[in-house]
Amino acid sequence: MTAAKKQQIAFLIIRTLSILVVGILFVILGFIIIRGIGVINWDFISKMPEEGMLEGGILPAIIGTLYLIAGSILFAFPIGVMSGIYMNEYLKDGPAKRFVRLMTDNLAGVPSIVFGLFGMALFVNKLKFGDSLLAGSLTLGLLALPVIIRTTEEALKAIDDTYRHASYAMGASKLHTIKKIILPAAFPNIITGLILSIGRVSGETAPILFTVAAYFLPRLPHSMFDQAMALPYHLYVLATSGTDIDKARPIAYGTALILIIIVLICNLMANLIRKIQRK
Amino acid sequence: MIKKIILMLTLSTGILQAQNIKLKGSDTVLPLAQKEAESYKKAGKGSVSVTGGGSGVGIAALMDGSTDIAASSRKMKMDEKMKLQEAGKKIKEVIIAQDALSVIVHPANKISKLTREQLEGIFTGKIKNWKELGGENLNIVVYSRESSSGTYEFFKEHVLNKKNFANSVLSMPATGAIVQSVSQTKGAIGYIGIAYDNNSVKQLSVSYNQGKSYVEPTVQNAMNSTYPIVRPLYLYYVVSSEKTVKPFIDFILSSGGQAIVKSTGYIPVKK
Amino acid sequence: MNKLFKNLQVGILAFSSLVTTITVLLIVIFLFSEGLSFFNKKPIEPGFIIAVHPDNPITFINPTECKRIFDQDITDWKEVTGHAQPITLVTLEDIGNNYSEEQMGAEMEYLDTCYNHFIQGDKGVIAMIPERNFTNKIKANKLKLDKNSIASFVQGKEWFPTAKPIAQFGAFPLLVGTFLVSLGAILLALPLGLACAIFMSEITSVRIRSYMKPVVELLAGIPSVVYGFFGLVIIVPLIQKVFHLDVGETALAGSIILGIMALPTIITISEDALQNVPKSMREAAYALGATKWQTILTVLIPYARSGITTAAILGIGRAIGETMAVLMVTGNAANTTLNILKPVRTIPATIAAELGEAPNGGIHFQSLFALACILFLITMSINLYVNFISRKKA
Repeated sequence: MTAAKKQQIAFLIIRTLSILVVGILFVILGFIIIRGIGVINWDFISKMPEEGMLEGGILPAIIGTLYLIAGSILFAFPIGVMSGIYMNEYLKDGPAKRFVRLMTDNLAGVPSIVFGLFGMALFVNKLKFGDSLLAGSLTLGLLALPVIIRTTEEALKAIDDTYRHASYAMGASKLHTIKKIILPAAFPNIITGLILSIGRVSGETAPILFTVAAYFLPRLPHSMFDQAMALPYHLYVLATSGTDIDKARPIAYGTALILIIIVLICNLMANLIRKIQRK
Repeated sequence: MIKKIILMLTLSTGILQAQNIKLKGSDTVLPLAQKEAESYKKAGKGSVSVTGGGSGVGIAALMDGSTDIAASSRKMKMDEKMKLQEAGKKIKEVIIAQDALSVIVHPANKISKLTREQLEGIFTGKIKNWKELGGENLNIVVYSRESSSGTYEFFKEHVLNKKNFANSVLSMPATGAIVQSVSQTKGAIGYIGIAYDNNSVKQLSVSYNQGKSYVEPTVQNAMNSTYPIVRPLYLYYVVSSEKTVKPFIDFILSSGGQAIVKSTGYIPVKK
Repeated sequence: MNKLFKNLQVGILAFSSLVTTITVLLIVIFLFSEGLSFFNKKPIEPGFIIAVHPDNPITFINPTECKRIFDQDITDWKEVTGHAQPITLVTLEDIGNNYSEEQMGAEMEYLDTCYNHFIQGDKGVIAMIPERNFTNKIKANKLKLDKNSIASFVQGKEWFPTAKPIAQFGAFPLLVGTFLVSLGAILLALPLGLACAIFMSEITSVRIRSYMKPVVELLAGIPSVVYGFFGLVIIVPLIQKVFHLDVGETALAGSIILGIMALPTIITISEDALQNVPKSMREAAYALGATKWQTILTVLIPYARSGITTAAILGIGRAIGETMAVLMVTGNAANTTLNILKPVRTIPATIAAELGEAPNGGIHFQSLFALACILFLITMSINLYVNFISRKKA
């Protein structure tokens, strides 16, 4: 066999496998969309669950997930960005920086169920927050933190040093330079990271299992110390428990689709920002 | 001024908390508690939040005060009782319904009745093929609930004569998943609360007298005590919070509440 | 004043960069304090002891034997180095069934007398007795029991955390299950992911590549419950049909779902590794007359090897810790098996499924934390290893 022939065959295989990867995504998306689209209407997203959660809507789960996103981001975003700034602008390369980065990587690698256990042990039991939006948000926030730190760092690294030098030359202080020059320039990339971590936070189940998630709430949460329903846990419940799984299936597909839509919107927004920025 | 605001805030949260009863615990009780909470709300009596996690979690939450009511599909364990005693909490126990466990198989399975001894053999792994029981030549696939659930323990104690399940049983995180899996798997057998029964699976009649007579798992048979595998479902609460939780418990025990018990597929405690 | 304010601001920045470190430390403290206290306890139901007739020469019992005795697999003392004597099991309930409430007393104050009466009547008795009722009125030998040891935890083959009177905490089948599923996942995902990375980095146009990127990101973004749900409804029945199995909930189902979930990690990292190969290397290969494929095979892949290894390892790390999807599709049977077409139970699924029902602070609860410690140590060492090889390269 000639080299050219071999290349042809190899590339054919590689192309096929790549198409397979794309195919997998579309099969999963298509499956959820086709089965779920018929279920979704205004009532589905605006009504409380009824008849043993087999009818009505999933409003409290949607609201709960939105609260959890807001809570975790409120906690993780400032800390993550500040941490990223410190790591890139202040810490010099060396053991200290390596250590902090290693710890951040370690945190990123911690399995989500371990976050759940930790959140339960610390926030729910030790700090006595109980099962609450607060405990769940903090747990999810810690999970999102490494992603935000990483993207902030990358975003700052991408800013050319000439910006910094120019600013210093004008007599601006380091803090001032970061606030007025560096951060605005890096902002789109930081936001991209934020949006992607929102996608991640919205879909996590294991960390909220023992920190906030409720099986059923007849009303929306009133405060940070209330429990909440959440989309991923609701989907898990609909898929595995309940007295009539077959009847719950349509609602499960609808819930899965809403989750997917949140993730899709996050990804689209992130890509849009990237595209705008590139121009 | 600030003091006033704080006072008002604490007061208002106090009121909100008073209106909202928290119930937490056994996954078996959840569908029932959820429906009761739904009707309770509809009747304009107040709101009840229902959280799963399991009997153990519910009782633990009762201990640290993060729930008002613990739902349990098993009686409180000795060490849980001792802990609550140590914490100085007096606990009240209420049985809100009975739950009959039925043994289910794939609808195409020819077997329609089994004795307790045969069930024991199947679930402890001694009987491995349906042909040993006069059925097809088909491997038996055993589905069970998670080992820590109250349903599992009850089944173990009352059907398996306290023997342990075989290693090879598949554990499902929730009863709904057992129904689903048994309906998809030809050689499957599992056990569920009869509230979960639907047409996709077949319920077996069970004999507790070495095959002299078999009883069908129905609400009637459970109510007149001819069906043997029946267990109570409990709610636990701390006596000091009786004022908050009593209306809801009274609601469940009222004729309206017990009608919901029946319509959900559980067995009412008050006839 | 101004300076102080500035220092304060920098101080806050510095502190936030420490949050991750603090969190990791807190995780270690909380997991290990709860998990290690498991090894300080005996695997018996709290508040109970096990005792035998005073004439019985047995003084010590191990958990496996105890389970087999109470399962009635062992029915005679001679099977466990005792005299030939049929074993009689006695639990609190048996006492309740054999004695009237009057005999036991309203507050169970005469329970010890009842126990003693029962035990003296049968030399083969093994009794489970509430500790507070084990008074000197009961003439019986209390059996000694070992504490949970790390060795028995990791090597034990039986996971019956609620078995009575002695629970079986053998995490071996869970470890095997976790590794089997993850290994299967990586074997499926690596060729796919690598092919995809090569395609994106070397073969296709910039335009198609810019379409592929969001696809990969989206794969990473789909929540694990959705994967699990998809697996439950589609993959599980499919596997059952294709392989003519008794059950579709198998390690393979878990591997397929986890493989898909690990794809983005593998693709992104190995693509980066390929992109990082210096241009001069490619050009040198082309100059020698190599085709594109030959260049990929003999220059790029060997050069990017450590990056690809990293991708595979991190992919495994992702798979090992994944919880919900696995919980929904692998059947969760605590089998020790290397057969990918059999149901298995993984560590994360065990934690998620059992934590809810385990009494808080009890031994079962702590055993789950001990499992979480194992999980944490595995993923931690994966990260440290990856960090190590990437530093060695740099």
